[in-house]
Amino acid sequence: MTNSPETGLLVVPRIKVQNANCISSPMTWGFPAITAFTGLMTALERKTHGHIGLQFLSVGVICHHFEAQVTQGGYTRAFRLTRNPVDKDGSTAAIVEEGRAHLEITLVFGVAGQGMAADPQHYAQMAQYCADTLATMRVAGGSVLPAKPGTRAFYQKPQLVSLGDSAEARHKIFRTLSRQWLPGFALVCRDDLLQARLEELQQTNPAASRLDAWLDLSSLQIKPLQQQGTDKVQWQARRPPGWLVPIPVGFGALSDPYEPGQVANARDPRVPFRFVESLYSIGQWLSPHRLEGHQQLLWYPVTLPGEGLYRCLNEFTVETSHI
Amino acid sequence: MADLESQSQKLRALIADFIQGRLATKLEKLAADDPKYALLTAQYQYDAWLESAARRVGQIQSVTHTLKAIHPDAKGSNLYVSPGTLTAHPLLGSHDLAGGFQADVVGNAAALDVYKFLKLTDERGNTLLELALADDAALKAALSKDATEAEQWLAAFASLLGSDGALASHPQAKQIYWLTGEDPGNDLHYQVLAPLYASSLAHEVFTRINQHRFGEEAKAAREARRNGHFHETGYCDYPNLAVQKLGGTKPQNISQLNSERGGNNYLLASLPPSWDTSLLSPPLKTDSVFKRFGRRPAVRQTVKALQGFLKAEPPKNLRTRETRFSLTSTLVDELLQFGAEFWELSPGWSQHPDCRLVEEEIFWLDPYRAKSDLDFAERRQQADWPQQIRERFANWLNAQLHKAGLPVGDPEFAQWQKEVKLDDDWRHWLKHLQQELDQLQKELSHD
Repeated sequence: MTNSPETGLLVVPRIKVQNANCISSPMTWGFPAITAFTGLMTALERKTHGHIGLQFLSVGVICHHFEAQVTQGGYTRAFRLTRNPVDKDGSTAAIVEEGRAHLEITLVFGVAGQGMAADPQHYAQMAQYCADTLATMRVAGGSVLPAKPGTRAFYQKPQLVSLGDSAEARHKIFRTLSRQWLPGFALVCRDDLLQARLEELQQTNPAASRLDAWLDLSSLQIKPLQQQGTDKVQWQARRPPGWLVPIPVGFGALSDPYEPGQVANARDPRVPFRFVESLYSIGQWLSPHRLEGHQQLLWYPVTLPGEGLYRCLNEFTVETSHI
Repeated sequence: MADLESQSQKLRALIADFIQGRLATKLEKLAADDPKYALLTAQYQYDAWLESAARRVGQIQSVTHTLKAIHPDAKGSNLYVSPGTLTAHPLLGSHDLAGGFQADVVGNAAALDVYKFLKLTDERGNTLLELALADDAALKAALSKDATEAEQWLAAFASLLGSDGALASHPQAKQIYWLTGEDPGNDLHYQVLAPLYASSLAHEVFTRINQHRFGEEAKAAREARRNGHFHETGYCDYPNLAVQKLGGTKPQNISQLNSERGGNNYLLASLPPSWDTSLLSPPLKTDSVFKRFGRRPAVRQTVKALQGFLKAEPPKNLRTRETRFSLTSTLVDELLQFGAEFWELSPGWSQHPDCRLVEEEIFWLDPYRAKSDLDFAERRQQADWPQQIRERFANWLNAQLHKAGLPVGDPEFAQWQKEVKLDDDWRHWLKHLQQELDQLQKELSHD
């Protein structure tokens, strides 16, 4: 998978998003699900393709600022709710708790296609066109705000860059770009850690499940440490190294796909329909300068209809498995 | 035959007890001469209640995946998908419940008593629902003396797991377009995916987290900590755990399990690390930012962990090494982040009269000043400030380790490696630290 298909990167820096959906799945909250960004990517390609001929293959996200609209204090958080308008007939609408967050993010799209063959002099225009289009769209359900003059976001322009032919060139381009993404944190996928923890737990408890491993990696372990030679006990909070978080990564099938039109009230009667559930893994937030190349940053939507898997894949682990 | 007869009698007694029990709670608050009293007593006769139950069971459905949890106004299919039948793959999903799970119930909350009835367990440990599904002769005989009636009722109860008719989604349900073909521009290259709420899985997660919050063992461990005592296993916390309420004041409208949870659903946090830019002020009246760096919670925690780790002399294995490398790398990461945060201030902040930072730190922290201050730009260009920052960081880290009584002295560690016959483990770590420092310098010099 190291021969990545993208020939260019489109960077839309420091997008301010207001009221993005921060309930990312039925079991997680915080940063919007990565599928919200792959969906955005597809929508952006549909809107811009006729003008610039870029193919969008993958998307990476770097978070510069995150502010959730939740209550503080106490053991648990609750979502600050909005008062929603009443129904058509004036009765109160059902309460559906929605979580909101304000974000500042940089989006990096892996692109290819004949658009990259255009004169590089036009790259800046093409990038600006994409950024302007993006500004009219919903990002994870939130609206895009314009950057304030005098802030860094105002001076950083969207860029389209060609990745070049040699590994060395690609590396250099990525290095330069990734420094512009500081301060910030990129989200990468750690399926490997989930699997490793599962195997570790099974060494002491053969019945341990993936759910045990997932919860274990999502929690803060607080354990006592008996100091040698004394009866003094020191309690320590331990987290596995790295900023690890539970994340949804896509969907798993609950049924076979139904023929177009077979399921009533489907959004589109022309295409197959399938009932699915959210699937979860472990993600890691890390500083973008830690990434060795664009493949480590980017997420690819992958479909394995035979196995009923519709998920987003990131190659962070593939690249670092030698460490 | 005698065996069947006795089984059947036992089941009859079990059912009769259940019905009587429910009647008794209903009658508790009523006076004997209340007209409702007689009415209820009639309704809770054995045959009458079963007949009504067999009729009402159609109003509820046993499921593992629900729709109303997605939106209370959505009407459409709920599914019963046994976890064991799902594809096993390396992600977390309902298939991980193959070892055991609790099914949920959706439908008319007024028919939930039928579900309680079907969950009754006989002496062999089977629920009535399981017996109904197995077309159990003893249960059939227990339900009614009329064979046809018994047959019908049994079939009705067994239908609890069946689908509720034609498959449907709803405009209020989530429905996602997923590109399955090659061309995003082609409307037909998509599938519509309709995510349902994995109710059984969510319930299991809720139960486990509650066990970790309120269970006896967790309580004992928390108390041991308060009293400074030892505890065998310790406990765990879920930072920034959120509670999402489903169904508002009527959680039973969503589902049976949701009702049991009081409408509370736990959401685990995937928050990115964050800093509060509003708290960020220019570092004035100080000659170095490293003190401020050391006060960052993440840095303090990491330093503490590193000190503890090096002092405890952990076993020399891969895991130990990785933990140590990771801690060092975290510190270098933090330093880069920390520095970049000052870039968010308005350029030229270091020109403030109270700014007493050594110049290499200004070069590092206020790079955009070079855009307007040409003198500064030139000095910055000529100085080897990345190397100086690297040394300052190394010195700072040494000091932290020194405080913990660790034998680290020279900033470059090179001397150290010569003088002391280090064991492999330490040498590895020092080498890694050296690499991290080299990397740091490279990162800084790349403007």
